Amino acid sequence: MATVLEAREVTVRFDPQLMLTRTIRERIALGWRSRVAPFVALDACSLAIGEGEVVGLVGRNGAGKSTLLRVLAGVIVPQAGTVVCDPDRRLVPLLELGIGFHAELTGRENCLLSGALFGLQAREIEERMDAIVAFAELEKFIDQPVKTYSSGMYARLAFSLATELSPDILLLDEVLGVGDQFFVRKSMARMQRLIRSGITVVVVSHNLDYLVAQCNRLVWLDGGRIRMEGDPASVAGAYRDSG
Amino acid sequence: MPESRPGVSARRPTAFETGRRALALARYQFRLKYRHTLLGVAWNVLEPALFLGVLTFVFAVVNDMKVAEYAVFLFCTLVPWRYFEGTVTGCTESVVGGEWLLRRMPVSPFVFPLARWLLTSLEFAFAYPVALVAIALLKPGLGLPLLVVPLGLLVWSAAALGLGMLCATAYVFLRDVRTLVQISLMLAFFSSPILVRADLFAPGSAQATLFKWHPVSYFAALFQKPFHYGTFPSALDWTVAGSIAAVLLLAGWQALDAQRGRVYYGL
Repeated sequence: MATVLEAREVTVRFDPQLMLTRTIRERIALGWRSRVAPFVALDACSLAIGEGEVVGLVGRNGAGKSTLLRVLAGVIVPQAGTVVCDPDRRLVPLLELGIGFHAELTGRENCLLSGALFGLQAREIEERMDAIVAFAELEKFIDQPVKTYSSGMYARLAFSLATELSPDILLLDEVLGVGDQFFVRKSMARMQRLIRSGITVVVVSHNLDYLVAQCNRLVWLDGGRIRMEGDPASVAGAYRDSG
Repeated sequence: MPESRPGVSARRPTAFETGRRALALARYQFRLKYRHTLLGVAWNVLEPALFLGVLTFVFAVVNDMKVAEYAVFLFCTLVPWRYFEGTVTGCTESVVGGEWLLRRMPVSPFVFPLARWLLTSLEFAFAYPVALVAIALLKPGLGLPLLVVPLGLLVWSAAALGLGMLCATAYVFLRDVRTLVQISLMLAFFSSPILVRADLFAPGSAQATLFKWHPVSYFAALFQKPFHYGTFPSALDWTVAGSIAAVLLLAGWQALDAQRGRVYYGL
């Protein structure tokens, strides 16, 4: 199985001095206190994703799952280590329940803009617009600014768009439990169809049953390091026992 | 497969991809800007027309000056200055303002100042003809030196984009930059020969010396000489303004490129 995405010895540190001080006054104030140690979100973490693989990431809050997903997506550039990816494959991340929507733009405009940012022509997105809107069940609201959407509507549109963009690699961060039970069922069915079509998926979720059922491999992150990876049932069992 | 190195993403888009994304973003920013306005895009022409009208009234009626002569002197540089100022201040906040995208999508931070520059350049393309019409009405028979004006605009535009990228990078890590930029631009404007003719001051006087060493003087000369004095800008004007623009563009690009891996942490 060819590797399509890989993180090698990746380290990500969140430095409070960089992240929490935005003004000269704050810089001076923090400088007077003792230096706060950086938070190590990922510590020399390595993970290779093969073509067509479905990999689940589990771990407690703050374990580094979302950070690893962001690193793989290219949203966060790590301070150490490397990320290797195939630029010819379309990688679509669905992070923080969204895909990067501008609150003032309408749902339709956001879809067109996102499509353009992912390298699609306006015509290509317009051709898929009906399907995106229908799946998200937003026919009445698609021409309203997304700031008027509920969080469920927002997440539905993001999921519908992300899965209609013909991704080769899909990165999902806690998006499969969003919305009402009907949409959850529908989105899971779509995910299964995409997986069957051979796309590569990396998914972060706390829903262990879903991960065990859908993934080829489960990775357990703890304190920014990979504690265990392999057969989903075994990893899930060990993770459950750790609690 | 391409490999990232610390601080540099593996998915480094090409200049073409970045430009295309900036264009897409600028299109929607343009739409948003005029969405809830009564006159829409017409404001692009009306706003500079009203601005120039108010200025003419103030200087002609209130200050009792020779309106035509001064208006030509003022308009030819003030409109490009407003473009420069708008681009720099817009670019300054652009990367931080792009947080909604940068936190969720692998987008180059260059997209945001570029989009802002495209937007202000488009608005300027509407506004400058208004100034040109006003100047043509006030001073008929403008000569050949006008041919170099597009080149002058190019120099101003490059300087604006370069300084904008530089300020945008600094603003990611220090929010005081916005106020400092605004104050610096105001200082640069009021101390430059955009409002006051440099030749009104005796050689060797404090004002003449200030204008001589003021970098904006050389940028202003690219418009004041063809429009007001009817001459071509000198080689010194081109060299100084062109060099400053090139240095700013290079410095801005280098600064943002060097910090692109750290941008996420500063949002």
